[in-house]
Amino acid sequence: MGLLTLLRALKQNDQEYRVLMLGLDNSGKTTALKQLAGEDVAHITPTQGFNIKSVQTEGFKLNVWDIGGQKSIRPYWKNYYDATDGLIYMIDSADRNRAEETAEELAILLDEEKLDGVTVLLFANKQDLITAMPPEELMSALKLTSQRGRKIIMQPCSAKTGDGLQEGLKQLLDVINAAKASGK
Amino acid sequence: MEHPHAAKILAGFKLNWMNMSDAHTGEVLWTDDAWENLTAEREAHIPARILKCRAVSREVNFSSRELLESLKLVQRVLLDGKCMEEWFFDFGFVIPNSTNTWQQTIEAAPSSQMLPASVLNGNVVIETSFFDRDLLVCKAKTRIWYDE
Ligand SMILES: Nc1nc2c(ncn2[C@@H]2O[C@H](COP(=O)(O)OP(=O)(O)OP(=O)(O)O)[C@@H](O)[C@H]2O)c(=O)[nH]1
Ligand SMILES: [Mg+2]
Repeated sequence: MGLLTLLRALKQNDQEYRVLMLGLDNSGKTTALKQLAGEDVAHITPTQGFNIKSVQTEGFKLNVWDIGGQKSIRPYWKNYYDATDGLIYMIDSADRNRAEETAEELAILLDEEKLDGVTVLLFANKQDLITAMPPEELMSALKLTSQRGRKIIMQPCSAKTGDGLQEGLKQLLDVINAAKASGK
Repeated sequence: MEHPHAAKILAGFKLNWMNMSDAHTGEVLWTDDAWENLTAEREAHIPARILKCRAVSREVNFSSRELLESLKLVQRVLLDGKCMEEWFFDFGFVIPNSTNTWQQTIEAAPSSQMLPASVLNGNVVIETSFFDRDLLVCKAKTRIWYDE
């Protein structure tokens, strides 16, 4: 199972990690989470609340929170910011019509006081589609002006095939782990 | 506890389904989705090979009509009424009219010794309770049978 393997690969320091997954509806958050856990991704419906995966191995605990991205649910996102170690922001790279909307939501999150300094992993999802914007094009569409002294990782991926997911999450967990080890 | 808000929370809360799977293969070994009568103890027949799985996933799906401020889950494994294992999870905020899933995957230490199915059979009860602060929102009990 992918999540357990990732967790085991980290240096053990008896930690608990909280990773929050946000992004517009239909961007592929739930598909990515299930794909990472090695589950079937054929029949996924829009999330009407949250999906949490808690993975525990000796002395290690990872909680990944996937919250629904529909417009009616977004006002509740802020209830899940507390104690977040890493933020995964999922983007449908093929949805050019909503590039501006996803850029706006991301900008709001980056300005959020409770998420100050939290490392962000941008998943440029749906790279299996020929219409997908390549990561460079997506980066400029996101107009990332203020990073507020945080690290932002950009990882192209396909939640459908699984390509890029492990790599992205591993980078995020490594940064979180290093920050925790240095007592930040 | 019997104030009107508590009654609304209870009436709007529903345990939809639970399952258990082998985390390494993703194979679902047991699933139960008919939680209509929560007061009755339920029975689950699970293939005995689950006891040999290094990593087991347990998943719970629930809905709430009301907004909840501070939802917690306590899951206990009882053997002959004695608590053998206990897990807590703090959900915190629950969105009104939401449906939510929590899956926990625990990898056992390589050295950990499982009791044989014959000892456990019919003597293990998994008790799942949800609390919103101090209010018991829902409690479900399942007696486990390990089928060879
Ligand atoms: N082609 C392709 N389709 C994908 C990919 N990832 C997700 N999808 C599809 O996109 C749709 C939405 O996926 P979800 O995982 O439900 O998206 P979500 O972000 O969880 O959506 P909400 O729960 O509404 O916030 C589904 O039909 C998926 O099959 C991908 O990498 N490539
Ligand atoms: Mg979803």
